[in-house]
Amino acid sequence: MEENTTVATSASKNYSADGNEVLFFTIDDTIYGIEIKYVNEIIGIEQITIVPKIPDHIKGVINIRGKVVPVISVRKRFGIDEIPYDDRTCIIVLEFEDGNQVGIIVDRVREVVVVNKNDISKTPDAKNVNANHYIKSIVNLDSGIRLLLDCDKLIKDD
Amino acid sequence: MAKFEAGMEAMADMYVFETTSLLEQLDQILMKTENESSFGEEEINEIFRTMHTIKGSSAMMGLENMSKLAHAIEDMFYIIREDHPVISSMESLYDLVFTASDLMKAEIELLQDDEYTPTDFTEQMNKIEAFVAVLKGGEGAALAPAASAVAPAPAAASAPAPAPANSDPSQTTVRVFFEEDCKMENLRALLVINRISDSCSKLEYSPADIENNPDTAETIVKNGFDVVFIPKPDSSIDGVVDTIRTTPNVKTCNIISQTSAGSSAAAAADDDSTTVRVHFEDDCKMENLRALLVVNNVRDVCDNVSFEPADIETNSESAKYIIENGFTIRFKSDKPNMVLQVIESAPSVKSYEVIENTAAPQPAGTAAAEKPAETAAAPAVSAASPAAAPAAKPAAKQEAKPAAAAAKPASGGAKQSLISVNLNKLDTLLDLVGEIVITEAMVTSNPDLKGLRLDNFQKSARQLRKLNSELQDTVMSIRMVPLSGAFSKMTRIVRDMKVKLGKDVDLIFEGEETEVDKSIIDQLNDPLMHMVRNSMDHGIEDNVEDRIKAGKSPKGKLTLSAYNSSGEVIIVVADDGQGINPEKVLAKAEKNGILTKPASEYSEKEILNMIMLPGFSTNDQVTEYSGRGVGMDVVRKNIEKIGGTVSVESKFGQGTNFIIKIPLSLSIVDGMEVSVGESIFTIPINSIRESFKVKPNQLVKDTNGKEMVMIRGECFPLIRLYDLYDLVPGTNDLYDGIVILVETDGKCACLFADELIGEQQVVVKPFSSLLNNYNVKQNGMAGCSILGDGSITIILDVSNIISDF
Repeated sequence: MEENTTVATSASKNYSADGNEVLFFTIDDTIYGIEIKYVNEIIGIEQITIVPKIPDHIKGVINIRGKVVPVISVRKRFGIDEIPYDDRTCIIVLEFEDGNQVGIIVDRVREVVVVNKNDISKTPDAKNVNANHYIKSIVNLDSGIRLLLDCDKLIKDD
Repeated sequence: MAKFEAGMEAMADMYVFETTSLLEQLDQILMKTENESSFGEEEINEIFRTMHTIKGSSAMMGLENMSKLAHAIEDMFYIIREDHPVISSMESLYDLVFTASDLMKAEIELLQDDEYTPTDFTEQMNKIEAFVAVLKGGEGAALAPAASAVAPAPAAASAPAPAPANSDPSQTTVRVFFEEDCKMENLRALLVINRISDSCSKLEYSPADIENNPDTAETIVKNGFDVVFIPKPDSSIDGVVDTIRTTPNVKTCNIISQTSAGSSAAAAADDDSTTVRVHFEDDCKMENLRALLVVNNVRDVCDNVSFEPADIETNSESAKYIIENGFTIRFKSDKPNMVLQVIESAPSVKSYEVIENTAAPQPAGTAAAEKPAETAAAPAVSAASPAAAPAAKPAAKQEAKPAAAAAKPASGGAKQSLISVNLNKLDTLLDLVGEIVITEAMVTSNPDLKGLRLDNFQKSARQLRKLNSELQDTVMSIRMVPLSGAFSKMTRIVRDMKVKLGKDVDLIFEGEETEVDKSIIDQLNDPLMHMVRNSMDHGIEDNVEDRIKAGKSPKGKLTLSAYNSSGEVIIVVADDGQGINPEKVLAKAEKNGILTKPASEYSEKEILNMIMLPGFSTNDQVTEYSGRGVGMDVVRKNIEKIGGTVSVESKFGQGTNFIIKIPLSLSIVDGMEVSVGESIFTIPINSIRESFKVKPNQLVKDTNGKEMVMIRGECFPLIRLYDLYDLVPGTNDLYDGIVILVETDGKCACLFADELIGEQQVVVKPFSSLLNNYNVKQNGMAGCSILGDGSITIILDVSNIISDF
C-alpha cells in the first residue's frame, strides 16, 4: 500500500478526525467507494425474492436474520447491463440513520481505505456531468482517482 | 438549565404518567357531571383528591406553577362543597376547570421537551379566583371579586387581613439565605413566601418585587431575604420557620427580631403531638423522595411537622435507612386521625404505626362526624364579610385537605393487580413470539424429516404447536386495549364544539369495549378526532329549524360504534346531519381538476370517497375546526398506515357514516400459501371463500376477452396473478392451476395461481420504506413474511387487488 493509505482493520473505526474510512468496490472496471459508516455488513449473493411492480433496479427482498431487506442492483441503477452473479458477487448491506437497511449488489468488494480529507475534492458543478448526483465527491489516491458515491441518492427515488 | 433538581429526573417519568392519567380521570368526571348537570358529593371529593395529588406531586417535582393551579381548583371545589353556593353559571365553572386541565396537560407535554420553561398560569388562576369570589359573594354582596380578580394569586393569599382570634400578634422577622449558586434566588424566595403564606396572617417581605424583577436575585444573595410575618392562631412561629428551613435550597433562616414575645404556640405544641412510623412498599425505590411527598402532604394539613431522617431531600442514602428503620414523622394536629389518613393515602405507603400519641386519641367515628361541622363554620364567617373573602381562603383550604383525604376509603390491604409496562418490552415480546412461530415451522416441517414416520415426534410437535398458539394468543391479549379510551377522548371534543358552535348534539357510544392492538389505538386518535370534528362541523345542521323541517329531532345525534367482523374491527362514525351533496362534491372536484374521467361516469360511492383526497373540502369557509381540506386526507393516510381502510356512506339530507376497517392486529395472520412460478404468495385465510379447479364449462369471456368464472350460478372476474404481477408462471393453463375465490367488503374475485402449498401462520413484516415509496400497498401487497425455510413470501391484500380490478 502507498504511504497515505492504510488498510483499516475492524478495530480502527474512529478516524473521522482527519480521515474517513471508505469501502471500495468495483462495477466492471470502475472502482467506486462508499463511506464505511453506512456499511453494516457484506454478504455473498443470496436468493432474492421478487417483489412485483417496483422499478427495475430494485431486484427484490432478501432475508437477513429475520429482517426483510430490499436489494438494489448498482449496475441497473447506473444503467449498465447486468451480468450473471458469480461467487465474487456481493451484497453490501447499508444501514441508514433511520435504521432502514438496504442491500446493494456489486461485482466485487475490494478494500477499506482511510482517506485523508485533503484527498477529497468536490464534483464539478455542471449540468451534464454527474446529472443524477450519485457521485458525492472524488477521491484522489496514489493508486488512482476514485468516485465516492452518495448512499442516500443511490437508494432514493430520482 | 436542568429541569429538575438532582435526583428528581428518575421520578419525572412516573410523575408524567401519574399526572396524565389523573387529568384524564378528571376530564371524565367532569364530563359525566356535566351531562347530569349536577355535582354529587362523590364527584367533588374525587376532583379534590385528583387535584390534591397533582398539587403534592408537582410541588415535589418543583413545578410550582402546576402545584398552584391545582391548589386554586382545589380551593374552588372546597367552596362549592361546603357552601353549596348557587352556581349561576355552570358553564363558566366547567370552562374554568377544563381550561385548567388543558393547561396542565400542555405543561406535561412541554415537560418532556429538553428546553422546558415553566408556563405562567397566573391568568387562569386569576379567573378562578374571580369565580371563587363570585361564588362567595353570591350570598352577600358581589363587591370583592373585581378587586381580587386582578391581584395575582400569591398576593391575594398574603394580603393583610384581620386576624380574628389573635389580639396580641407577635410579629417576627427572619432573614433567609439560600445555598450558593442555586440561581434565581428571587424565585426561590417566592417559593418560601408561597409555602408559608397559608400559615401566616400577616406577611411582608423585602425585596418586595421578587416575582417580577429578576435583579432582586442579586440583592438576596448579598443581603439575604427578609420576611416579616405574624403566624395564624393555629400555627406557630417555629412552625413557619421550620417550613422556611425545609424549603428547597434554603441554607439558613435566622430570626432577627420579634416585636412581641407572645405566647409561643410551639411550647404548647408538644402536648398534643403524634409520632408515626411509616413503612413504604417493598421495591418502590427512592424511599427518601416518597417520604418527602408524605411530609409535604402532611404539611398541607397540619403544622409543626418534623421527621427523621431529616435529610431525605438531599441525601439519597437516607432511602436505605428508611427501608430498614421506617420513616418517622412527628406532627401536631388536633385531628390526628385525619393526618393519619393523609399519610395512608400517600402513594407507595405500605403501612404506618402510631408510636407515640400524647393527644387524647380520637376515635375515627368522631373525627368524621366532627369534620363537617367544623369546616362549615369557617366559610360562614367569610360569607358575612365579603371583603375578607380572600383571607378566608387559606383557612378554608386547611380544612379542605384533610376532608378530601378522609373521603378516600381506607384500603390498606388491597394489592394492586395492574402494572404498567413499557410498550417497547411488549413489542420485543411479540417479535420473539413471531420468531418462535417461524422456528416452530422450521423444525416441524424440516426437509430432513421428509418421508420418515415419526409418531412420537408428531405428537410432541402438535403439543408444541398448541402451546405456541396459546402463547401467541396471550401475548396478543396483553396488547389488546378497549376502544373506550379512544372514544371517551371524543367526548371532550364534542363537548367543546357543542359550546363553540352552539349545536346541541348527543354523543352515543356503541361497542366501545371492542379491543384492538395498542399500536393501532395510538394511530386511531387523530383520525377519529378529525372525523368527529368533521361530523360536528359539517354534518350536523347549523340551524335547529333545518333539522325540524327535515323531520328530525332538534337534538343532533353522533354515534361512535365499533364491532368485530372477520378478523377486522369496524368503527363507524355516524351523524344524522345534512349528509353530503354528491353534486357539490363533483362540482368541486371538477373545479379542482382532480377528475380522471368524465363527470358522468362517476358512481355515487366514488364521488363520496373523493372527499378524502388531499386538499379537498366542500366547506366554503375555513373554520377553526375544519374546512382547510387537510382533515379527511389525514384520516385516510393514518388509517392506511395501520393497514386499514376508510370509506364514506352518505344519504343527502339524512346523515353521513364514516366507516373505518382496521385489522385486529398487525402482526400475525393465518394465511394460505400459493405459488406462482418461483414466487410464493400468502393470501389471508379470512378473505378466502374456497379454492377449486376450474372446469371448461365454468369459464366465460366478455367482449374484451376478460375472463370470468361461473360458480353455482354466480359469475366472478378472474385475476391471473402472474398477469397482475408480470411473473413467469409455472403454468398458464387455467385447468392445470388452482383458482381461489376471495371475498372482501362484499366483493368477490377469483385468483389464479399455480398450486396451493398449504396453510400457515405467518408473521407480518412491513415493507421497508424504500419499497413503500413505490405504492406496493396499492398494488395489493400488504407486507411480507419469512417462511420456515428462510424464504420470503409476500402477503396479498385482497381488497386492494379487487378494487383495482
